[in-house]
Amino acid sequence: MSFDVSKAMEWAYKDMLTFFPENVSTFGSELDNLFAMIYYASVAIFFITYGILIAFIILYRHQEGRRAYHYHGNNLMEFTWTLLPTFLFAGIGLWSDDAWTKSKSAYRVPNPDVTIDVLGYQSGFGWQFRYPGPDGVFGKKDRNQISSANPFGIDSNDMHGKDDLVIISPGGARPVEAHLPINKNVLVNLSSNDVLHSFFLPNFRVKQDAVPGQWIKVWFNGTKAGRYEIACAELCGSGHYNMRGLLIMDSQQDYDAWLDQQYKLKKPETAPVADSTATLAAAPDSTTTKKN
Amino acid sequence: MQTAIAHAHDAHGHDAHGDHAHHHDVSFIRKYVFSTDHKVIAKQFMLASLLFLFVGGLFALLIRWQLAYPGEAIPLIGNILPDTWVSDGAVTANFYTQLLSLHGTVMIFYVIIPLAVGMFGNFCIPLMIGTDDMALPRLNMFSFWLVPPAGLILLSGFFFDSGAAAAGWTGYPPLGPSSGAGQTTWLISLFLIGFSSIMGATNYLATIVNKRAKGMQFFQMPLTIWALFITAILITLGTPVLAAAISMQLADQYLHTSFFMPDNLLVGAPDNSMLTGAFVQKGNELLEHKQLLGGGGQPILWQHLFWFYSHPAVYIMILPGMGIVSDVLATFARKPLYGYKAMIFAIMGIAFLGFIVWGHHMFQSGMNPLLGTTFMLSTIVIAVPSAIKIFNWLGTIWRGDIRFTAANLNALAFIATFIIGGLSGVFMASAPVDIYIHDTYFIVAHIHYVLFGGALFAIFAGIYYWFPKMYGKMLNESLGRKHFYWSFVFFNLTFYPMHILGVGGHMRRIYNPYIYEFLQQFQPMNQFITFAAIILGFSQLILIFNIFWSLKYGKAAPRNPWQANTLEWAAPAHPGHGNFDTDITVYRGPYEFSLPGRSTDFYPQWEEPQGQPEEVQAKDPHSSQHA
Ligand code: HEM
Ligand SMILES: [Cu+2]
Ligand SMILES: [Cu+2]
Repeated sequence: MSFDVSKAMEWAYKDMLTFFPENVSTFGSELDNLFAMIYYASVAIFFITYGILIAFIILYRHQEGRRAYHYHGNNLMEFTWTLLPTFLFAGIGLWSDDAWTKSKSAYRVPNPDVTIDVLGYQSGFGWQFRYPGPDGVFGKKDRNQISSANPFGIDSNDMHGKDDLVIISPGGARPVEAHLPINKNVLVNLSSNDVLHSFFLPNFRVKQDAVPGQWIKVWFNGTKAGRYEIACAELCGSGHYNMRGLLIMDSQQDYDAWLDQQYKLKKPETAPVADSTATLAAAPDSTTTKKN
Repeated sequence: MQTAIAHAHDAHGHDAHGDHAHHHDVSFIRKYVFSTDHKVIAKQFMLASLLFLFVGGLFALLIRWQLAYPGEAIPLIGNILPDTWVSDGAVTANFYTQLLSLHGTVMIFYVIIPLAVGMFGNFCIPLMIGTDDMALPRLNMFSFWLVPPAGLILLSGFFFDSGAAAAGWTGYPPLGPSSGAGQTTWLISLFLIGFSSIMGATNYLATIVNKRAKGMQFFQMPLTIWALFITAILITLGTPVLAAAISMQLADQYLHTSFFMPDNLLVGAPDNSMLTGAFVQKGNELLEHKQLLGGGGQPILWQHLFWFYSHPAVYIMILPGMGIVSDVLATFARKPLYGYKAMIFAIMGIAFLGFIVWGHHMFQSGMNPLLGTTFMLSTIVIAVPSAIKIFNWLGTIWRGDIRFTAANLNALAFIATFIIGGLSGVFMASAPVDIYIHDTYFIVAHIHYVLFGGALFAIFAGIYYWFPKMYGKMLNESLGRKHFYWSFVFFNLTFYPMHILGVGGHMRRIYNPYIYEFLQQFQPMNQFITFAAIILGFSQLILIFNIFWSLKYGKAAPRNPWQANTLEWAAPAHPGHGNFDTDITVYRGPYEFSLPGRSTDFYPQWEEPQGQPEEVQAKDPHSSQHA
């Protein structure tokens, strides 16, 4: 039970904007700027309104013999303070819209350089990643083949599915480690087979709920190599806090090398179904995570 | 009529005790338990909700302890709690999830709504519109008596093996329906409390429309009544949607429907739900369960239905507070409310817009982003009437003669915290900014600024203001101010830093944040928040102590202790069943303070004009309300 006073008081003396984790995605800086703009506007409004409030409290405190001013209001003032915030807020709205469609709207998703599938799961709590394999083509999905052994529901009749690469937690309490290349448009098809999760990449300013029964497109473009954390932002059960994953952003070269290594680890004869059973069994299950 | 005026000016009257002409001989049970007197029902709501406030606060402190010192035994009580809840004295992840779900549910549905709407609606409406009771007194009694069973059903979940509800106060499927009996208690309990709300609200509408005192026009009603009137409309329009959604989730859980459940779902096998399908063998255990029947359901549909109710519900929680604050501020600034009509139109604007912004809770839900744009714009528009209200309150205290009573301090604090809560709302209203801060502590900071800082401070203001009329005793002012200062300071120290945690990316509803490297730096700040929260919690004991102390030793309240204008102050100091001992006629609006040429600085609504020129003028509602 220790208590670090200066760290505990950081909220009081450090600028709010300095608390953002480092941004490493292309559109992230745009979202941060938007936040900063609203922040500065808010600070200004805060000081104006608090200044007036405090000034009035001091100036007009009760004094013997003073009589308050009998006054019911003034329509011109009402119009003024209706229109001023309307313009300010409308400005914020219009400014926001471009950043919003750029980061989320399907029609503005750029052509992907890399496409992967990501699945949040509740039995053991974590994320699984699926890459198309050496042939570069994903096997078809068949909802009826979904099972805990084949969570992506890869169609066993589709040859393209045989070489698909599924990356999963190496077991124990260790987080899954997925690799992706930097300076590439990455398209993630996101889903879940059980409850809602939310795919949260703090450093990339990406957050999107994973919804069972639906594949949702998420994209980003990472600008800096490194090791970044993946979190779940939607309550998904008692292990919700424990859905930590790692995203390793590599140069194209390192990424290719990693993929090759993964292909070698995966025996070509083994059907993907059997393979993922082995890894899933090794994944931490809910009974071990509860002790954390 | 002359006696009414005499009473009004009689500050230490002979009527300090409430048993008067309307007194009937009734049994204890009919008088205090199954009473149809709106004032008794109001007190029952107050008592029940303060008990729930204590329970919800306890949950919050358990949550806070875990965030400050995860895995360390809870001081004092850690080792006496059953080991389904704690291990080695520290809460388990499972229990933590139940705690956060029940904290939110209890505070919203069993504290804020019953206090803001149940208690003040019942107490204020008949008195402030000058009538003897609600239009439908027995319905009113039922609306309270659904609360205790509903609350007990909710809390009973803790005694099941599988625990209480653990899907958050939002109960999102598929987690909700797949998590067993606790969720069932949550659904049933919300259904009942919603039913109670609807009964109350229809009654308020009937009463306000039909039972106003002679001469009282709509635009002569005090803001508290206007706010409660519009709140009641929101309840009657919104709550049935929640009831429908709850029924659908119950059907998904027990009747093999799949409104919200897609097919081929692999969910943990809940102990006693009747979800259909095959169990999937995993090792030697049946860990998973595959839902095969039905299918085609859509989890996001629940979110639409839930927020279609719950966004208006946040206004159900805050509008009565806004009304109370308006009345308290005007009374203690001795000034007419600035822009009376503008304030009413702003409430109407908020209420109307409140029904078209629900999607701002769903920006990241997978809803079409195009819808996100429309919801972003409507949400930004709703900030405008909120701003109008702030400016009008500031206008109200401008050139006033402000008295810093405990009631008024809480009302001023409401303005201060609502400014911050409104501003944080604008961040989240911007859909792209919300991508990052959604489901982080930034949201937690926002909801506590508007609900604790806003709604609850307004409720405190109302308690300090109307306690004399409720119990015939004055609350102790100096204890009241102490309660206020401690609450205000530690409220801000608890919840302001949460904005910073949110900016740091700290997710909400997280059992142990420190398994994430990027959150480890926030442990000291979380500890700071926890200490502040503990003090904030204990500060509330001052209020409880003050209530009991004043009931016993408090000064007897005069009829009109605050020299206010509204009709409740025309009633005897401690009114009995039937309220008024005189006939009430309304001659003017509720805010004629400091009218020039009068010897007193107030001019009650019920006081008959004496024929002096300026009073004749004030009688005409149009000349006294310019706004
Ligand atoms: C200026 C006015 C307001 C604006 C623009 C605003 C905006 C928002 C937005 C956009 C969200 C969703 C954030 C997210 O989940 O990512 C939100 C959440 C919330 N707001 Fe507000 N809000 C305002 C006022 C209020 C008021 C007056 C109340 C209550 C009295 C309130 C209560 C809540 C609650 C309870 C939530 C969180 C629900 C949850 O996810 O648990 N808000 N608000
Ligand atoms: Cu999750
Ligand atoms: Cu909302």
